[in-house]
Amino acid sequence: MTQDVAAKHQAGVAARKAEMRAAQLAAGVEHLLEVKDLHVEFRMQDGVAKAINGVSFHLDERETLAILGESGSGKSVTAQAIMGILDTPPGYVTGGEVLFQGTDMLKMTYRERAKYRGPKISMIFQDALSSLNPVFPVGWQIAEMFRKHRGMNRSDAYAEAVRLMERVKIPAAKERVKAFPHQFSGGMRQRIMIAMAISLDPWVLIADEPTTALDVTVQAQIMDLLKELQEESGMGLILITHDLGVVASVADRIAVMYAGRLVETSAIGPLYAHPLHPYTKGLLESVPRLDQKGQELLAIGGLPPNLLRMPEGCPFNPRCRYAFDECRTGAPPPLREVEPGRFAACYVAGEV
Amino acid sequence: MGKFIVRRLLQMIPVILGTTFLIFMMVYALPGDPTDGRCGQRPCPPQYVEAFRREYNLDKPVIVQYLLYLAKLLTGDFGTAYNGKTVLHELSIRYPVTIKLALIAIAIEAVIGIAAGILAAIRKGKFIDNLVTVSTLLLISFPVFVIGGLCQLVFGLQLGWFPVTATEGTWEQLVLPGIVLASLSVAYTARLTRTSLVENLRADYVRTARAKGLTVPRTIAVHALRNSLIPVVTYIGASFGALMGGAIVTERIFNINGIGGYIYKSIHDRDGTALVGTVLCLVVVYLVVNLLVDILYGVLDPRMSHD
Ligand SMILES: Nc1ncnc2c1ncn2[C@@H]1O[C@H](COP(=O)(O)OP(=O)(O)OP(=O)(O)O)[C@@H](O)[C@H]1O
Ligand SMILES: [Mg+2]
Repeated sequence: MTQDVAAKHQAGVAARKAEMRAAQLAAGVEHLLEVKDLHVEFRMQDGVAKAINGVSFHLDERETLAILGESGSGKSVTAQAIMGILDTPPGYVTGGEVLFQGTDMLKMTYRERAKYRGPKISMIFQDALSSLNPVFPVGWQIAEMFRKHRGMNRSDAYAEAVRLMERVKIPAAKERVKAFPHQFSGGMRQRIMIAMAISLDPWVLIADEPTTALDVTVQAQIMDLLKELQEESGMGLILITHDLGVVASVADRIAVMYAGRLVETSAIGPLYAHPLHPYTKGLLESVPRLDQKGQELLAIGGLPPNLLRMPEGCPFNPRCRYAFDECRTGAPPPLREVEPGRFAACYVAGEV
Repeated sequence: MGKFIVRRLLQMIPVILGTTFLIFMMVYALPGDPTDGRCGQRPCPPQYVEAFRREYNLDKPVIVQYLLYLAKLLTGDFGTAYNGKTVLHELSIRYPVTIKLALIAIAIEAVIGIAAGILAAIRKGKFIDNLVTVSTLLLISFPVFVIGGLCQLVFGLQLGWFPVTATEGTWEQLVLPGIVLASLSVAYTARLTRTSLVENLRADYVRTARAKGLTVPRTIAVHALRNSLIPVVTYIGASFGALMGGAIVTERIFNINGIGGYIYKSIHDRDGTALVGTVLCLVVVYLVVNLLVDILYGVLDPRMSHD
């Protein structure tokens, strides 16, 4: 596939998207993707784990939103709820809306929603080795998108797969299209995941810790690739990570999650300069050292709460240096606008 | 691939030599004499015994007997059984019957076992899952001769759905014995399929398949099932050998003239020639099926490819 054809393809996609954007604006829809008061719970034998408790955020075209938080804070569950790929049972969405260009995807049937996955909204996962099917050639897995969503025949779909593998810069794509996932290196496998996810030119791409399983140099290459693809296509990117270094270099806005809630949302610059929530502050102070890359952020004392036995008041209060009486009773503090465009769920936000 | 097959074929030679030798020795070690009971109530006259022993090389040391047997075998001669008929003749009549029986059992095992396993897995925790769990448990805990006798009585005699015996060994006659023979392995196949599919439905790549916007049937039947069947196919292949062995019991229940009866008879007669020839064929069938399974394994799971 020549540069020329690829460019033409991009131009076609851009034109289609511009049309839809105009329609979206005409209909008064503000954001490309808007999540409103999302609730998810896992119903298990020993109780109901409230994994997501009223998460709201939005994403626009060309924008990168980073979702940051400790392990178990609900980042992946949020992503899966948006995609509609939660494991049900035990996981259930119990409230909220997920609006894609103004349409609530939660009200759709499985089949209607499945048609959105790929062309509208798409996702890449942390571990590309286990996330790719081991028994099918990588090209087959990419081509499946074109065959099932666009009804393409086998050979055309394979040609598209080669085009995508070239687009994500896999060397000798034509020769390797029939190779199996285990025959690639970790970085190349993640590129294949990406190729599959962007194959139908989605508007929104969710990347759930796309680089955690990779070594540092490859991490940078993958992030560069994602950035480049975003610039070409104008898609919105939700980047889930616990690597603050990655966030700083690529994200526009950041949403910090704690125990299934957003505790702070902000543009990237002000957040680094001056975090509002004590938890964010703790995260920033625990800047990962090179020798513990990929590990938990340990500087904040204590453990995240057990989702089956949430503490009263603010979920962060047992670990918070600034907690006072009000933090320990009643409902968790709501997200409030502390500074223009900056929200935090804390009574003392900004004063710490 | 070719190299792999050649290597595996060469590996069969020591296995075949070993098994034939062991069985030969075991028959030799059996107490009693082959001529016991050949002459009615009285002991055989010494002349007869001597002639008999000479004819079947029994007068020579056992190792020489074995080597003489092997030398004949290389020319394709399986020897003559004590009843005077050639072993090859008996085998050519009996093997097709037993193989037919095993094939019916394998087909039942694969179709019903896999189908039940899939149903149980996708309806996990529901009625059909419990039904499969309980009925496979029943099948596993009943000995084959009990199931065989019951089936014969109920479906053969009382309901009259199937012939009671299968003396001629036709396909229709062998259906009921095939079901009985498959009863144990069909239960294991169903359980293995269920476990394997349940596990694979939780796998990351199935979540990816959902994220790709595929339909539920495609996610299960193409993405999860393909992986789940790898251990199942291996089990079914390996069970072919066990089925041929298990046929001995089933053949007695239904009075089938397969190798089961022949093996029983040759052990009874201490007829080494007949027994070793029969078991040799069993071993070869077993080895060839195993080789086929391993080749199929490489095709099903590219990570295990022999290329
Ligand atoms: N399939 C599931 N069944 C039961 N509980 C689940 C399931 N998936 C997630 N959870 C629970 O939901 C909570 C949030 O999990 P989630 O995977 O979203 O965390 P995360 O923020 O992505 O963490 P990590 O950084 O480790 O990926 C966890 O407490 C987890 O135990
Ligand atoms: Mg996660």
